[in-house]
Amino acid sequence: MGIEHMETVAAKQPEYPEEGTVPLLELRDIKKRYGALEALKGVSLHVKRAEILALLGDNGAGKSTLVKIISGVVPPDAGSMFWEGRPVTLKSHAEATALGIETIYQDSALVDSLTVARNIFLGRELVGPFGFMHHRKMRAIASDVLQTIVAIEGIDSPDKLVGSLSGGQKQAVAIARAVYFKRTLLVLDEPTSALAVRATEALFEYLRTLRSQGLSSILVTHNLYDAYRICDRFIILSHGELVFEASRSETSVAELTERVSRS
Amino acid sequence: MEHQHLPMITERTPAGRRADSGRRYRIQQSGLEILILFLLVQVASIIYGVISPDTFAYVSPANIQTALEAIPLLGIPALGVGTLMIAGEFDLSIGANYIFSSIIMAQLAENGLSVWLAALLGLGIGAGIGLLNGVITLRLRIPSFITTLGTMGIWDAATLFIHGASSQPFNPPPEFAAVTAGLFGIIPAEFLWFLALSIVFWALLHQHRLGNHIFAVGGNKYAAEENGVPGNRAKLIAFGLTGACAALAGILAAAQIGNIAPSSATDLPLQAIAACVIGGLTLSGGRGTVLGMALGAALIYWIQDVLLLLGAPGFYLSAFVGVLIIGAAAIYEQLRRRQS
Ligand SMILES: Nc1ncnc2c1ncn2[C@@H]1O[C@H](COP(=O)(O)OP(=O)(O)OP(=O)(O)O)[C@@H](O)[C@H]1O
Ligand SMILES: [Mg+2]
Repeated sequence: MGIEHMETVAAKQPEYPEEGTVPLLELRDIKKRYGALEALKGVSLHVKRAEILALLGDNGAGKSTLVKIISGVVPPDAGSMFWEGRPVTLKSHAEATALGIETIYQDSALVDSLTVARNIFLGRELVGPFGFMHHRKMRAIASDVLQTIVAIEGIDSPDKLVGSLSGGQKQAVAIARAVYFKRTLLVLDEPTSALAVRATEALFEYLRTLRSQGLSSILVTHNLYDAYRICDRFIILSHGELVFEASRSETSVAELTERVSRS
Repeated sequence: MEHQHLPMITERTPAGRRADSGRRYRIQQSGLEILILFLLVQVASIIYGVISPDTFAYVSPANIQTALEAIPLLGIPALGVGTLMIAGEFDLSIGANYIFSSIIMAQLAENGLSVWLAALLGLGIGAGIGLLNGVITLRLRIPSFITTLGTMGIWDAATLFIHGASSQPFNPPPEFAAVTAGLFGIIPAEFLWFLALSIVFWALLHQHRLGNHIFAVGGNKYAAEENGVPGNRAKLIAFGLTGACAALAGILAAAQIGNIAPSSATDLPLQAIAACVIGGLTLSGGRGTVLGMALGAALIYWIQDVLLLLGAPGFYLSAFVGVLIIGAAAIYEQLRRRQS
């Protein structure tokens, strides 16, 4: 992919004297402007290996914009990105995927007129040598993932059209996508906003399992109790700026609540 | 692959019930309604044709052969237009393309170029015209309805500029005539082309990854691209295929009739869209079947044929097609509503 040539750029490698370990992903001074609106005004953050990072903040703070920059669908105007210490420029979603970044979008990007199975495999269809799809295999896997990992009620068949699902069921399909194509970094933009308690718990349990396997997640959420229960570190954005950062032992739900609502 | 089992909550739906509802959903998405409608009208027409062969010569060899020759000339363009509609775009220039490509082919062939090469060039021009529609639409970010309304005028004018308004004769050598307009047993070559192309389009749209991308980009371009589907590429290919289908139909028609009248395809774009709507495609894209496109075209011809056999005046055709389009769209809307 287009990122390989970057490996030779050794001179620009950042150094981490105090930590000793290279973070999985680091963003430096990321800026993004939509016309007159500065959605991100120079945000720097990093994600460690085997951690769940909470990305918090008010509506319109810039969380989803940051998510889209990390997943390669929106290019930043300025700033740099480092993956395992190497500088990268993500020019497309495919490049982010190739690095190992998997995203569940807030607007759960699904195609209503396609079936559940086809949505799960959209853009990454299982195909034979000439590009013909393995329908049966994709259906079987879709069924399996939805039944076992994503504990969701009411999706009785992978052949159901996504347009006929409820909001939470759609979110479950988006989660099933990410679960099947497990990567090094899972980015979840408000994945539980429409999920029932049981499905939310199942998702969190899954994130913990990923963490125990050394994989990382970024969780965007407005539910600070949920965030505090599952995340290791917390970052609060406000009007496109990073205004607070703390690890779990350094903060509390009360403080997070106070910081988010004050911003 | 990287998928693994992490059973958390036990299965709640019995596997048997799941399989059954799966079949139900697949049938709902298969275009079965149009097949049933098609078979019903055929059975009715055949029964009436057998009962009174003198007033309604539906099952006569001549009528069947005419049908098999005529259906591909609408059906082949409909395959292209339908694919493009699924991708969420339109092509109103297929009539102009059909004429322009086939006239260029005929001129080249009549001036001594190998007819095979000329036909290949005609197909290439057709595909090129389609691709150009795609490039203009996607680059300028304007609706393809507008783009192709414009290019329709441009290619119509190009035909008049290069050729004029008179008919262009086309007298292909026997081998070429045999494979484009000959008879294989009782089946006209045109129909075999249509059948073969229908299978190719079925494989492409319903079995191939590219087809999945065409459905996805037509259903929701934003979501498709966020998930890594190369949306513009899928659309461009659909535009190119549409152009190539229009040119192929023009070439087959030229071989069948022996000449090309520049004004003979004005109705083609809207008829092809009509065929697709009758076949269950939506104007908003992302839905449809190849079965629907093919049978939609066959149904439009069927109305024409029945009216002709019954001796109804020609203008009845447009009225009946009009009723069928509206009726079909209404019925499909009801069916879709019940599904979701
Ligand atoms: N494509 C776009 N065009 C113009 N403005 C945009 C676009 N996307 C986001 N914005 C603006 O950028 C700002 C940040 O939006 P973003 O979606 O990142 O917020 P958010 O933190 O995810 O909010 P929420 O919690 O409501 O999801 C908002 O003011 C929004 O209006
Ligand atoms: Mg958001």
